[in-house]
Amino acid sequence: MTKFYKQTFLSFTVAGVFSFFSYGTFAQSDPTGERRVTGTYAITNATVLAAPGAAARTATIIVKNGLIDQIGNNPTIPLDAQTIKGDSLFVYAGFIDLTSTVGVAAPSIPERPANFDPSRPAPVYVGITPQYEVLNYFDALEEDADKWRKTGVTTLHLLPKGEGMLPGTTAVVLNGQKGASNVLSSSGSLYVRFQTVRGLSPGTTLGIMAKWREIYQNAELSAKHQTLFAGNNGVVRAEKDPVLEAFFPVINRQVPVLFEVSNELDIRRVLGLQKEKGFNLIVSGVNEGSSLVPVLKASKAQVVISLDVPDDNAFKKEIKEASEEVNDNLERVKEAYLARLALATNFEKEGIPFAFGSTNVKSEDFLKNIRLMVENGLSEEAALAALTTNPAGMLGLERVLGTVEKGKLANLVITTDSLFKKTAEVKHVFVDGYLFQYETNGESNESDKSKKNDLTGAWDYETVTPQGSSSGLMTIKNEDGKYSGTITFDDPEGSGSKSADLSNIKVSGKTLEFQFNVDVQGMSISVSVSGEVSGNEYEGKLTIPDFGSVPFTASKSPDSNI
Amino acid sequence: MNTIKIYLILFLLCTGSFFSYGQIEGEVIKPRGGKFLLKNATVVTVTKDTIQNGSILINNGKIEAVGTDFDASDAVTIDCSGLFVFPGMIDAGNQLGLVEVNSVAETQDFAEIGDLSPNMQALTAINPNSVAIPVTRVSGVTTSLALPSGGIFPGTAALINLNGYTSEHMYAEFKGVVMNFPSSVRRGAYDRRTEEEIKKETEKSLKQINEIWEKAVVYQKLDSANAELDYYPEMEQMAKVVAGELPLLVEVNAAADIEAAIKWVESKKAKAILTGVAEGWRVADKIAQAKLPVITGPVLSLPARQSDRYDAAYTNPAKMLKAGVKVAIRTNDAENVRNLPFNAGFAAAYGMGKEEALKAVTIVPAEILGVADRLGSIEEGKNATLFIADGDPFETSTQIKHVFIDGYQIPMTNRHIRLYQEFLERSPGLER
Amino acid sequence: MKRIIYILSAFLSINLAVGQTPVKKGNVLIQNATVLTITDGVQEETDVLVENGIIKKIGKGLSAPSNTPSINAKGKYLMPGIIDAHSHLALSVVNEATSPITAEVWMGDVVDPFDVGIYRALAGGVTVSNAMHGSANAIGGRNITLKHRYGTHNPEELIMTEAPRTIKFALGENPTRVHGRGKGIQPRSRMGVEAIIRNGFNEAIQYRKAWENYKKASGLKNSTAVPPKYNLRLETLADILEGKLIIHCHSYRADEINMLINVCKDFGIKNIVFTHVNEGFKVAPELAAYTLGASVFADWWAYKFEVYYSTSYNAAILAKNGVITSINSDDAELIRHLYHEAGKTQRYGELSDDEALAMITINPAKQLGIADKVGSIEEGKQADLVIFDKHPLSIYAIPQMTFVDGVKYFDINEDKNDQRIKVSPTEVVEPIFLGDHDHKCMHGVEMFEETGEFFGTH
Repeated sequence: MTKFYKQTFLSFTVAGVFSFFSYGTFAQSDPTGERRVTGTYAITNATVLAAPGAAARTATIIVKNGLIDQIGNNPTIPLDAQTIKGDSLFVYAGFIDLTSTVGVAAPSIPERPANFDPSRPAPVYVGITPQYEVLNYFDALEEDADKWRKTGVTTLHLLPKGEGMLPGTTAVVLNGQKGASNVLSSSGSLYVRFQTVRGLSPGTTLGIMAKWREIYQNAELSAKHQTLFAGNNGVVRAEKDPVLEAFFPVINRQVPVLFEVSNELDIRRVLGLQKEKGFNLIVSGVNEGSSLVPVLKASKAQVVISLDVPDDNAFKKEIKEASEEVNDNLERVKEAYLARLALATNFEKEGIPFAFGSTNVKSEDFLKNIRLMVENGLSEEAALAALTTNPAGMLGLERVLGTVEKGKLANLVITTDSLFKKTAEVKHVFVDGYLFQYETNGESNESDKSKKNDLTGAWDYETVTPQGSSSGLMTIKNEDGKYSGTITFDDPEGSGSKSADLSNIKVSGKTLEFQFNVDVQGMSISVSVSGEVSGNEYEGKLTIPDFGSVPFTASKSPDSNI
Repeated sequence: MNTIKIYLILFLLCTGSFFSYGQIEGEVIKPRGGKFLLKNATVVTVTKDTIQNGSILINNGKIEAVGTDFDASDAVTIDCSGLFVFPGMIDAGNQLGLVEVNSVAETQDFAEIGDLSPNMQALTAINPNSVAIPVTRVSGVTTSLALPSGGIFPGTAALINLNGYTSEHMYAEFKGVVMNFPSSVRRGAYDRRTEEEIKKETEKSLKQINEIWEKAVVYQKLDSANAELDYYPEMEQMAKVVAGELPLLVEVNAAADIEAAIKWVESKKAKAILTGVAEGWRVADKIAQAKLPVITGPVLSLPARQSDRYDAAYTNPAKMLKAGVKVAIRTNDAENVRNLPFNAGFAAAYGMGKEEALKAVTIVPAEILGVADRLGSIEEGKNATLFIADGDPFETSTQIKHVFIDGYQIPMTNRHIRLYQEFLERSPGLER
Repeated sequence: MKRIIYILSAFLSINLAVGQTPVKKGNVLIQNATVLTITDGVQEETDVLVENGIIKKIGKGLSAPSNTPSINAKGKYLMPGIIDAHSHLALSVVNEATSPITAEVWMGDVVDPFDVGIYRALAGGVTVSNAMHGSANAIGGRNITLKHRYGTHNPEELIMTEAPRTIKFALGENPTRVHGRGKGIQPRSRMGVEAIIRNGFNEAIQYRKAWENYKKASGLKNSTAVPPKYNLRLETLADILEGKLIIHCHSYRADEINMLINVCKDFGIKNIVFTHVNEGFKVAPELAAYTLGASVFADWWAYKFEVYYSTSYNAAILAKNGVITSINSDDAELIRHLYHEAGKTQRYGELSDDEALAMITINPAKQLGIADKVGSIEEGKQADLVIFDKHPLSIYAIPQMTFVDGVKYFDINEDKNDQRIKVSPTEVVEPIFLGDHDHKCMHGVEMFEETGEFFGTH
């Protein structure tokens, strides 16, 4: 075992499941037949792109004990090695997703007490919980993990879920074999974002900025106080505040802050905060702001570019017989679209290293969007770096991840063609030396459809707002593959119950999203709901633009399928 | 005894003109009728040439004579040397009288429940004693079109003169049924509907309107054949529109909607007036071709689109006028209808010109609303609804000196003026 | 080296102050204009020379360096850039309405340089605006004074860094509706508004004392003194008590204006401006004696009950009673014609040209604490200038050019239609904004209002 593992190794037990240790236990009989035969593999004569910018070379890779044991033209293949013919295959280092939420659950929020004051909420109600560690809420569902593994993501930087601005601290896990201990590093970044809990303080970006400054300042004071208390008699007892203590590693520059943004003004705000206190910063969700290049360079902040690319309906639009003005406006929209796609190219040109993050991106679109950026000028080298070496560096794991080198972890992505070609498919993925194989040659996953939950039927839903809980009925129909539905709710204008059609119904795997309109005093507000279905239960959140989100849960009585 | 009486009456009549300025402590000045002679004024007739050193004789609520060189010894004389006389301004679209304090729902009387309520009468909901009415009329705006709003057919609008204690006193002989044409555009940044959704909703609305119209056509046919029909007040009112007895005031603003509205009006052969028309300049030719009159405003508005020129709303009336459209200007306000002349002033500055802008708030709305035989200009036989100012009424530096509505001299006072008089020099001041 | 930089900067008109966000400064010579100086009368056929963003000289027949652009303004009027002391332009967020006191928030954090409303204000001659927190809270956030340097992606370029700090207070219906009626927390009445403000100030006094005690104690040898908690809200309130911020208080009713004047007297606060104050005319003597004046609407009234008993003669009465009076917009539409709004004081109160123009220039400058830098055309002041084709108080006047720091940001002859800096990559159908003014003072607080009531109010 390497020293590294000895330092950061954490055993992870899936509740109730017999835990496998990768090392130190001895094999037993397995009537399920799930256990692998050997942990040693030889990938022969594959085209290896060991690192971004390295020349492609034909080589054979030996994987043993979870590590890349050898790479060479003609290494001795161990006797216990399972061979994978790599003749037409391409091998890359496994991808690292810097903003993953696979398998992360939101912590439950305790019930509000009777005299709850929304202007002075205790931190736990308003999502100021930086002390929450994401690993305590992590339980990777194999289906989800596999979707991401299939697109080449072998290492996950897990972001805590929840409401509010400081959901918790991150951790790094391998997207590996279920039941194995996959935690790579439990000391992650402090995760911050511009998100609020409806009706509670802080309620807007203004409040978040002020709150951040106050917490940070108080953390510095608290640290000073604790030092004083520890070293002297007669000092007033230092109260231990978990929120402030979570900031100590940030203040000591041991741990960076991962600040999530959604537009260029947010980026400027965050860089401004960094300038005030000098903490190490990773900015994630960067999706615009070519004008920010000089500021970013000066700040030494690390950048994670969002792969959430805008849809191209506007870009593809052609309006017949349009006036010059309309055409000019459309031109601007198209330019904006292209600028968005060229953002990464721009950063590369200016010498700003970046990683990619998957926030708001579905696994099916992960590689697709990266290829779109490469089409728009991003070099393959920079794209690969953003998937491998750059995130490895940002996480402090460059010694064991990021390239195909002897001695590093056996995290590999093996594709049928050069990764950035549209036709390339992921055939094999190694995570931690475990092999995962996937069907290729354009075979769509028909099997997924059978596993799909039946969404149709009548769902009783409940949503919790500061005014109390409100409930209603949601009915979903499926006609010829097209979903439609209606939802009832209490009329905000007071006259009983109203009903609205569901629109924009999107179903993908377990996720169900839809929208509906509520009319109040002549204004029509578009409410969106998004969440996950499992069986007859639905859990998600209801979002009103500009106001925030509240929880939304629904359940279906089993006999109500339509 | 008789001679003393005569002298007393003469004395009172001669000093009567002094009583028209402001208020004497404790006494309430009321609107007063009678015979008035305005002398030595510059009379801006609007429809004919301006008369220098002109005189106007007001009697029995009418303009009895306009010209130079005549006298009337039995009339109250107002010396208008250095002053200008204009026809009373007409604001062809607002909520004056239909709401008192906008944030207090109990005082809002311009909107009813339901999409189809053309039978709702704005005229009877008007509060003749609204505090805003005296505030408005001292600016020279004498006549106003009260508009219901909300739903598809919110109600029947009515033209009122801003003097009187009952709706009968105030009614100025025009009514029209308001229609809110379905909007096919995104309503502001909060409207997150997709293109398809907006299209569907618009189609649904239009379908609903066509169904209503068809029913109204049937109702009108049967009713005019003297059939005995069940009580159906909404259809009764719509039938009047179908028959052409009442015009339709079609509220429509986005360019695409205006085009759709024009097509619809032509297909139904309805007598219509387009109101709002914020993006009229984009389709001015089509409006002109359709020969539909337009009541647009407020001119002091933000441009409809973020990509629009900053002066899009200011230049809108002028652009439509140049294309050959008949354009009247409105404020669409409630408590600040008095800003009508300033809306017209901006329209004048941004392309319309002073003359046309003045017409747009006098004779043009009168013509559009079919009351041009009584209002809108200073001509013999028309109502004595006019005002006297010491300059161009569009300029803020001008003071309005007198206002006449239907031959009544209006007290030049209101709550704002009374507060001014009380507090200009407060007593006690800083110390008790 | 420094000298070389100085000479270079004079030529390049770029501020090379190290460490600060560079602000564009320009040179220009405006010739033969009728100059409305505001503080020194009207000067006919006069030139104004601007160098590096400062008005260098005012006089006749001036000459300028060869590379300075010159503008022939014969027959035209030059006035100082208009200042709006109450605006919500260029802000991504207006109200942090979650607590009745939010002195800790700062509007400088949410400046939005992409707001096309800034350009439209420039086209109306407005060069400086006080971007304020909304009126949802009794004590709101710290405002930010902006210069309308439109066209940049960097919000810092819009901030007038040399302006003193100001903060928003609000009395009356808005805070009592948002907190009392909307959420069931104080204040619910005008009684509560006073209590909240007094509580805030008293807490701040205790806070400052605790910190002063700590600082004294920790200076001693072998000190075991422990720092108190840091509270940005109380810090700010303590700063107000020390006169370091100018309060701009949204208020309407005479009694509440009087209340706050008395509270300020109790706490020794002199830097206070009352804004809106529709009933300010009822307490004009008090405003004149104890405050930095009033910033009012020209003629808005009756949209809420608390402005039902107001008058459009408000500004005139205040001015005649010696109150520093300015006219503001609090609205993206109104800000575009503040010169017209100022003209209304001639209709309602017969104020002179100078008195009317002062309301949109030197008076709001005083209220924002920047009267030594802008607000009039004087040598040494910043070159925020507007050229009009007619006298600005005429309804027919159209602004021709607007300068901020001597840089031309608006020219009616070089004005392209679409002035948006950024465009959304997915928006095919542009939204249409119609008629109803989006009154930003209460933006973002709808969730706290009683169900079903949406207010198009100020």
